[in-house]
Amino acid sequence: MSSGSYDIDLLGLAVALCMAAGAALFSGLLKLGVGKSLLIASCRSLLQLLAMGLVIQFIIKSNNPWLVMALAVVMLCAAVQITLARAHGIPKGLAFPVFLTLAVTMLFMVALVGELIIRPKPWYAPQLLLPLIGMMLGNCVSAIAVAMSRFYESMEERRDEIGTMLALGASPWECSRTSIVSSMRLGLLPTVASLASSGIVTIPGMMAGQVIAGGDPLVAAKYQFVVFAAIAALTLLADAIIMTRIYRTCFTDRDQYRPWISRTSSKA
Amino acid sequence: MHAFFQAAHMTCRLPAQGGEHTLFDDLEFSMDQGQIVDLVGPSGVGKSTFLMGVAQLDPHCTGELSLEGRDAGGYGMRQWRVLVSYLPQSPMLIGATVADVIRLPWRFAVRRQALATSRRSRAFAAARELVTSKSGVVYGPDDDEIRGALDDLGCADIELHRPSHDLSGGQMARVSLCRTLLTRPKVLLADEVDSGLDDDNAAKVAETMRIAAQRGTSIIRVRHRAPDGLADRIVTLSEGRLL
Repeated sequence: MSSGSYDIDLLGLAVALCMAAGAALFSGLLKLGVGKSLLIASCRSLLQLLAMGLVIQFIIKSNNPWLVMALAVVMLCAAVQITLARAHGIPKGLAFPVFLTLAVTMLFMVALVGELIIRPKPWYAPQLLLPLIGMMLGNCVSAIAVAMSRFYESMEERRDEIGTMLALGASPWECSRTSIVSSMRLGLLPTVASLASSGIVTIPGMMAGQVIAGGDPLVAAKYQFVVFAAIAALTLLADAIIMTRIYRTCFTDRDQYRPWISRTSSKA
Repeated sequence: MHAFFQAAHMTCRLPAQGGEHTLFDDLEFSMDQGQIVDLVGPSGVGKSTFLMGVAQLDPHCTGELSLEGRDAGGYGMRQWRVLVSYLPQSPMLIGATVADVIRLPWRFAVRRQALATSRRSRAFAAARELVTSKSGVVYGPDDDEIRGALDDLGCADIELHRPSHDLSGGQMARVSLCRTLLTRPKVLLADEVDSGLDDDNAAKVAETMRIAAQRGTSIIRVRHRAPDGLADRIVTLSEGRLL
């Protein structure tokens, strides 16, 4: 496999970092206000990626299913934290619904894509499962964060409408449905867009990585399609689960709209 | 002997900085079937909140409610709101056309369930048969019934298939009232329904309410206009007390 691959040496990493630093400098000159955070984020991502690379390397070598599961759980917990930090204007106390959503989606990913489509041996093959889980979590985190932010925003905008519907005998579900549909649609848009443009406009990250690493481009294309299809389906599943878990938080147990819901003032 | 509609120990405590602010405490209210009671009082005294509390829509309000001698708990939250219907001050029309707006309440599960059990239970006189229109099977009153109800409210100029966002403020208020009246609630809680109307149309709204009351609906009106002689009783809410 390594016959056709090109390693990146330290000089290469330094050049890439310099590019980020150059962009940061440029944005500083233009007073865009993102220079510092761009630089910090670049360094942080380099360290995180290298660390993740080392960890995966270690786990592949040790070939232990418990270690694979342990890393999956760590990734899951980090994903919950990132989702909650990224979603704007959501009430507190949503960590458990988000955890539940991501956990169920992850189990589906492993069961369907891993064990039904690719069927690796051993079943826990770390070099397959860990990247799959990572890609799935990455997509679901953004989809859920967008959907949750939009949902609470939409419910607040529709406050009078919801009041009228409740007065006419509607259930909380009937009141929330419009907001749920629009939030799920917004959460799914990037996934659908990336499905449609893949292969023509872009060579998606996973396929590009496999080809650069010397893999067969056709195999890479098949993998990419499977991952895209799975992510589209699982993003919808994740959106649906999180919506059914959280819509009730806008209402009291006596089916009254709860306007004083405590919001976190989180920043992206 | 129970009154037709009763509200006891009605209390509203709003969360405020450093504790609670009591808007009203331990109010008692009752009325007979077909009565019209006007609720008046200074602005911000809690008249709308009282009505919303009666409809169990306000999370800060508590109290013991009963209708026809039966406790609110025995009805279930959504059935209670079907029978004791709150009509908000600002009309909110949901639906593309006037007919869609008026048929909205019949899209909710509570009325479909009522439809299924209407032969067994007299509590749901508001349930309607299925109506077949050009656009397929829809729930709710048919076009003729909506037309008649709108005409009674002085809305002869509003076509059923007019886009609902084309209506003027006064027309919206009347369509909103028409929607709630057609659900035939036992108690109607009308919150400043005639505030945006001219005298002529306010008189038409009052006349429609008089007819509804004659048919057995009890009506509580929050009003800022001069008394129109329709109310059986005028109650003042002031400094947290009903007088």
